[in-house]
Amino acid sequence: MMQLIIGNKNYSSWSFRPWIAMKALGIPFEEVLIPFGRPIGNPEFKQKLAEYTPAGLVPVLIDGDVHVWETLAILEYLAETFPDKRLWPADRKQRAEARALSSEMHAGFSALRGACPMNIRRPVRERALPEAARANVKRIETMWSEARARYGGPFLFGNFCAADAMYAPMAARVFTYGIKVNRDALAYVEAMMALPAWSEWKAAALKEEWIVPEDEADWPTVL
Amino acid sequence: MSLKLVIGNKNYSSWSMRPWIGLKAAGIPFDEEVISLYGDGSREQILRHSPSGKVPVLIDGDVHVWESLAILEYAAEKFPDAGLWPSDPAARAHARAISTEMHAGFAALREECGMNLWRPPAKKALGADTRANVARIDEIWTGCRARFGQGGPFLFGRFTAADAMYAPVVGRFITFAIDVSPVASGYMRAMAALAAYQEWRSAALRETWVIPKFEVDYPDVPRLPADAA
Repeated sequence: MMQLIIGNKNYSSWSFRPWIAMKALGIPFEEVLIPFGRPIGNPEFKQKLAEYTPAGLVPVLIDGDVHVWETLAILEYLAETFPDKRLWPADRKQRAEARALSSEMHAGFSALRGACPMNIRRPVRERALPEAARANVKRIETMWSEARARYGGPFLFGNFCAADAMYAPMAARVFTYGIKVNRDALAYVEAMMALPAWSEWKAAALKEEWIVPEDEADWPTVL
Repeated sequence: MSLKLVIGNKNYSSWSMRPWIGLKAAGIPFDEEVISLYGDGSREQILRHSPSGKVPVLIDGDVHVWESLAILEYAAEKFPDAGLWPSDPAARAHARAISTEMHAGFAALREECGMNLWRPPAKKALGADTRANVARIDEIWTGCRARFGQGGPFLFGRFTAADAMYAPVVGRFITFAIDVSPVASGYMRAMAALAAYQEWRSAALRETWVIPKFEVDYPDVPRLPADAA
């Protein structure tokens, strides 16, 4: 069986992406969680992870002698390995768009990611956003509502696909930090949060006791 | 209808170089439209083609694809015989992982050593994060060459999308005279000798648009002669 190596569920947005894709699409895997520990990048974490990946980052997918790191590369690998699971939309044009949205997420929105780190256990509380982060929100809101309007929802391309997996942690951030988005984008967040896979990840995140100061927006307060 | 690739300045736009060299080296025909970034009306011009407001964008009839990696995936699907990804599944997974690592990573290097092909090669003091980026890239190149490099001088032997993703890094390493291992250096020589690389570079050296924030020596703008080998 495939193994997926991930970090803390409360904080690791990159881990969340392939995890929720595999769960939501019914791809069986064994999960291996390596806690980040403190401080970030500590030798113990690096050493444990080095057994699995040369890149020194989670997540990693292991399929026999194939080791795939980087979220988007993992999703592409799954798409090839399980064509019936429809990781990408069946239509060529939609697939191109789904990949563009996913790539944009993969490399972008650093202001919003910095201002609002994923933190599943944090109670919902609004947070003032710097201008660059607000611009990120606007772009994301536009993408979500346009895709849903074009393809009918509830997810970006109708059914849940890899592009939704890429934006799942963004949905979590919009929720946690009470970020104001239009009604349609909010409906997208709700659809995402209604997934059984979402509830499963969230329940596990809430049980974690590890605190990572770098990811606590209200530090030294931990809400 | 033929493909059209909308790109930014060839001297500076590393993101534009990636799909351009990927398509060229794979022998996929396309028209190009160059928009000088930050020039008058450039934003409007880009938005006509790209909802994200960024270049590059590939236009194929009613399909508009933005983001370098998404463009390369689209071309790989449309032209399966061009071999944009390695044919072996494990090698392909590896190629996508290092391409994605490039796509989202190496921020320090990109910030400190912006692509600037016409700048005469000269060393620059590098910060610790940038040096770590260089070490990781050297490790990626050396690892690929050792494990997958049989059958050609590129990361997976013959030229693939992963090489397209790293082509601008080769440009940066040359421009900033960055020291690398002998294997990495051999890889850089193969890239610099590629006809598509030379075609791009030669066009870059002839461009006249200067963008101050991308010139590390500004207000000096040292330039190689347009016919530099």
